[in-house]
Amino acid sequence: MADDEQDSKEYRWETGYEKTWEAIKEDEDGLVEGLVAEFAQKAARKAVTQRRGPVRLGMMRHLLVAIDCSEAMSSQDLKPTRFLCTLKLLEKFIEEFFDQNPLSQLGLVTMKNKRAEKISELSGNVRKHIKVVQGLSNMTLTGEPSLQNTLELAGRVLKPLPAHASRELLVLFASLTTCDPGDISVSVQNLKNEGIRCSVIGLAAEVRICKKLCQDTGGEYGVVLDDVHYRSLLLEQTSPPPRARALDAGLVKMGFPHSAPPSTQSDTEPPITVCMCHIEEGEGVGGEGHLCPQCRSKYCSLPAQCRTCGLTLASAPHLARSYHHLFPVDPFEELKNEGQSQFCFACVRSFTDTDKQIYRCNRCLEHYCWECESMISTTLHVCPGCASRPHLYQRLPDTA
Amino acid sequence: MMADDDVPSDSSTLVIIVDTNPNQRYITEDPKVLTGCLDAVIAFANSHLMQKSRNELAVIGCHFHKSEYLYPSPGKPLDVRQIDGQYELFALVEKTIKMRLVNLIKSQPQEEKPGESLLAGALAMGLCFISRIRRESSPALKISSRILIVTGSSDTAAQYINYMNVFFTAQKQQVIIDVCSLDKHLSLLQQGCDITGGLYLKVPSLEGLLQYLLWVFLPEGSERRQLVLPGRGRVDYRAACFCHRELLTIGYVCSVCLSVFCKFSPICTTCHTVFKIAGPLQIKPKKKKMKV
Ligand SMILES: [Zn+2]
Ligand SMILES: [Zn+2]
Ligand SMILES: [Zn+2]
Ligand SMILES: [Zn+2]
Ligand SMILES: [Zn+2]
Ligand SMILES: [Zn+2]
Repeated sequence: MADDEQDSKEYRWETGYEKTWEAIKEDEDGLVEGLVAEFAQKAARKAVTQRRGPVRLGMMRHLLVAIDCSEAMSSQDLKPTRFLCTLKLLEKFIEEFFDQNPLSQLGLVTMKNKRAEKISELSGNVRKHIKVVQGLSNMTLTGEPSLQNTLELAGRVLKPLPAHASRELLVLFASLTTCDPGDISVSVQNLKNEGIRCSVIGLAAEVRICKKLCQDTGGEYGVVLDDVHYRSLLLEQTSPPPRARALDAGLVKMGFPHSAPPSTQSDTEPPITVCMCHIEEGEGVGGEGHLCPQCRSKYCSLPAQCRTCGLTLASAPHLARSYHHLFPVDPFEELKNEGQSQFCFACVRSFTDTDKQIYRCNRCLEHYCWECESMISTTLHVCPGCASRPHLYQRLPDTA
Repeated sequence: MMADDDVPSDSSTLVIIVDTNPNQRYITEDPKVLTGCLDAVIAFANSHLMQKSRNELAVIGCHFHKSEYLYPSPGKPLDVRQIDGQYELFALVEKTIKMRLVNLIKSQPQEEKPGESLLAGALAMGLCFISRIRRESSPALKISSRILIVTGSSDTAAQYINYMNVFFTAQKQQVIIDVCSLDKHLSLLQQGCDITGGLYLKVPSLEGLLQYLLWVFLPEGSERRQLVLPGRGRVDYRAACFCHRELLTIGYVCSVCLSVFCKFSPICTTCHTVFKIAGPLQIKPKKKKMKV
């Protein structure tokens, strides 16, 4: 475990504000404030470099998240317990996932008593998934999980999906053992052949079969050190994985329902007023909705896949939310603050002695403070200087 | 702390983006009207500062060659409240804005013909300013933030990506985007208002601009609920194809980059992916027995 210890030490300097603060409290000079700023800045930089991926990504993701609900989850090494900590982080994860992968679908699976059970169908409904996660908190944690049964279930759910979409399984695994009915390596091989990417986040210690699963299927394997590390491992899974070679790129026919009511003149059939997404629950009659432009089925929220004709239904902003992956901002250059500029171009904050580094966009040559640099590269994805200059701003691709 | 939708805030930050592009129709018809509009914006800005002592203000001028802060002056401390009395502050706001606007206009390249106003860039600056105010304020303070765009330009699809990135950031950070159009209907900016919960108004005439500003845009988010304000109306969220920029109800989307096209083509013109399949993919609907 010597390795782990080293990792955790290194980690402490990189988690950002709270932890760093602890580490430098001993410093008795008046330099503390500057140090905090410097460490926070480094942490922010690190987060950005990690998040920057290749530009071409598969954006229609289908992800199953399997949650270990076995006895091993009741351990209190994560507060308040591994299980409750997991549920709390999952809520955040689900929101982030759909934020970054708007046309994607997610499903939830529980693992306990040697069984894997689907508790939330693959869908793009954020609120529904979060409700399911919240509903788990009183579950009794018993028995052993079965990784093989989980893999088999994932295969059954993900296999029928079209190959242009990425198909992924994420296992949150606390147990150190798995209780399998057969040879698990056969199941691993099957998923590998199907191009289903499996990642595992271990809550206890490294487990060999988990590592092999991730290696063989091109996924990622990580073992959490503490709750903050858990959070970052989990949130890393929200960025789309590099497009696997096996995936077929394709043009997908898609519907963009117009919110205006359809013209009534030529229609003899009355419009369907029950929304298809809630038909099973017996709600959703009447009210506003989005009509599938192909078959007129009604949906109360987008995105959705039409259950009648199969058309993917979305609105323009659903697509646009992902364009920043395609048109990323070039990373800014980190420069030693030598008085090149008096203030940050974006927020007009004056640079002071605590600003050891400032940042420059090498296209528009404007200078930025580290806070703005971090916001631009992680959230905004627009260089304010470039975006306000006629020769530099990000235009839509020119018409052919 | 970000202010909740329903709870009144302790302080509100307002960023006003003034389109100063000389090619706006109301300016080409009568250049003097710009001064009138600017006076209305300054009076509006000062009314905002008058509302609460902790309110913050920034004004950004959006010209065709670049955007610049007209207020506060870069490098100067934000807090100018040590100035005796409110009227001195108001005079300072007015003087700073007018002086810096003159400099901005003087800096415009003589040879270049004015192009479109790059409002998305100014919006990005405004969002950075708002984040800074939040960072620098006491964490206990509830701050509501919004950006108001006053423009007589039209919005074009060329800035679409920047607009969308800015709108989603504003939505995430709970910044309201309000738009006051002086001339044309702005469908893209209207989407921004809708996404962020802001108000969109096309003023019927420039005569009563200040009244419109005060009536519609002065109340902050939490106060608007109780007022009778112009309705949001229906926002058109159809996608425009990348090839002709035409609005579509059914289109083809590249699964790699999500570019939208109106016709099937074997290669994506945005990311140059070659599609293996001869025809568009058809996703089979899941067979489901429905109980009705
Ligand atoms: Zn519904
Ligand atoms: Zn349909
Ligand atoms: Zn800045
Ligand atoms: Zn730039
Ligand atoms: Zn087209
Ligand atoms: Zn493409």
